[in-house]
Amino acid sequence: MKHPARWIGGMIIASCVIVAVAAPVLAPDDPYRSGIAMLDLSSRAHWFGTDDLGRDVLSRVIYGARASLAIGLGAALTATLIGVPIGLLAGTLRGRVDAALVALIDLFIALPGLVLALIITAMIGANLRNLVLTLGFVMWPAIARLVRGQALALRETLFVEAARATGGTRLSIIRRHIWPGVLPVVAAQFATSVSFAIFTSASLSFLGLGIPPPEADWGGMVRQGFDYLAINPLLSLAPGAGVSLTVLGFYLIGTTIK
Amino acid sequence: MLRLIARRVVLMVPTALVVSALLFFGVTQLLGSPASMMLGQDASPQAIAALNAQYGFDRPAVTQYLHWLGGALTGDLGRSYATQVPVATAIAAAIPVTAELTLWAIALATVAAIFFGTLPAAPRVVRPLVTVASLIGITVPNFMLGISLIFVLSVQTNLLPSTGWVPWSAGIGTHLAHMVMPVLTLSAYYFGAFSIVYRAEYQGVIQRMFIRVARARGLSEWRVTFRHAAPNAVLPVITFIGIAMGQLTGGAVVTETIFSMPGTGRLFVASIEAHDFPMMLAIGMLIVVGVVLMNLLADIAYAIVNPQIRHAA
Repeated sequence: MKHPARWIGGMIIASCVIVAVAAPVLAPDDPYRSGIAMLDLSSRAHWFGTDDLGRDVLSRVIYGARASLAIGLGAALTATLIGVPIGLLAGTLRGRVDAALVALIDLFIALPGLVLALIITAMIGANLRNLVLTLGFVMWPAIARLVRGQALALRETLFVEAARATGGTRLSIIRRHIWPGVLPVVAAQFATSVSFAIFTSASLSFLGLGIPPPEADWGGMVRQGFDYLAINPLLSLAPGAGVSLTVLGFYLIGTTIK
Repeated sequence: MLRLIARRVVLMVPTALVVSALLFFGVTQLLGSPASMMLGQDASPQAIAALNAQYGFDRPAVTQYLHWLGGALTGDLGRSYATQVPVATAIAAAIPVTAELTLWAIALATVAAIFFGTLPAAPRVVRPLVTVASLIGITVPNFMLGISLIFVLSVQTNLLPSTGWVPWSAGIGTHLAHMVMPVLTLSAYYFGAFSIVYRAEYQGVIQRMFIRVARARGLSEWRVTFRHAAPNAVLPVITFIGIAMGQLTGGAVVTETIFSMPGTGRLFVASIEAHDFPMMLAIGMLIVVGVVLMNLLADIAYAIVNPQIRHAA
């Protein structure tokens, strides 16, 4: 156990993935079937109780892992696919292209992510696909900036200079010499992006502007349970803990890779 | 120094213009005709046309933008579609709430991060606690923290009022009592972030020669750390505060929603829900200008605090 934080992070992510994949097996009940037993407290039949429509909260929390992981991974992938090429381009070409790209990156990076995501989802409508695209769009500048910085440092190294001197083309230098050096940074930032995307999409749902009901979605469940905090706090706190743990898991991985 | 500031201020103008144009066209074009949205799907074409004419939506987009920009520059941001109150009035009433919340939260986060990051006594006990606290601050979403606080401090123990906001005039005690949980909720993330930035810098500073000299002169450990090490480790935190303040002009959205505070963040969410374009645009612009302005202020503060830059310019 040389890196306890990495182990904890990895374990959290592994359990989250297992829960998401095996949701139909693990969930004691259909997460969308409402019943007449509304706002029941914790019992043997419903470990976390039931919500205001009589749905089993535990099952909904279990199924909620799916939406969170889908958005987190999808958005991080989108951001990586946009950010890495732009960062590589800016970092290796330099000059005017670099200046223009940096101006663009700086413009977006300064804006609060949640606010930008709020505005965009309001414009294009909230559903799984749009949220993935929106959050990917919000997160790409951070990735591009990191990749650019790394590429800038690498292109000044002796081995890149040697590759250039021996007649390496621009593309082959990027692929064989710069990309391997950039990869660890991208991997770390990917994990951090997943955690940010889950965090932000849950916040959007909590504000009522994320994944629309009746989808089992952690942020939306927290919001819905907030009204019944005095009756059954688990309605809010259980899905809230799900978000927090998943975000923590990816954050720990993101800060300990490198 | 002054030239540096002047150049930065001049550069702010094109940024603000570009973003305002993006916002305006984004909001008005992508969201579709505001009139059909306001009147609902079953509205007759005549009613939509009438409303379009009334608000000027039938004019070309560029004309609309210039009209809006002209108004905005003279302080006229239009009227809210939802409440018919002038947008400027509504925002002016909301800004003090958000500003106060933000300032308390940043102040608390900064002081706590520096204090706990510097604290020389019993580091073995304090250090892991601070690390866990900053991790919680960074990874637990605002809404989860806020609701947990409400559950523990008002539902379970009834120590604090759960939600709502009261002005200063209702009594300083009641006002502050309503502020405690929102401030804690909002500052948690920044406490975590500042702690990490500060700690990294502090570790470097404490290795430096002048710290050894201070110790060798026989100064107390408290004096060495707080008088000599801390001021030198605080610089990156200042830059970060600037970024944080900018983000917070809109980042208080979740906190204000949980605690039902009448600030700009909640106004923004309400305007999005109601498709209240003038309000959305104005608050969006406010956030952008706030972000740019705060970053500038942070750079100036950095230059003032850092003698290397102060004397070079």
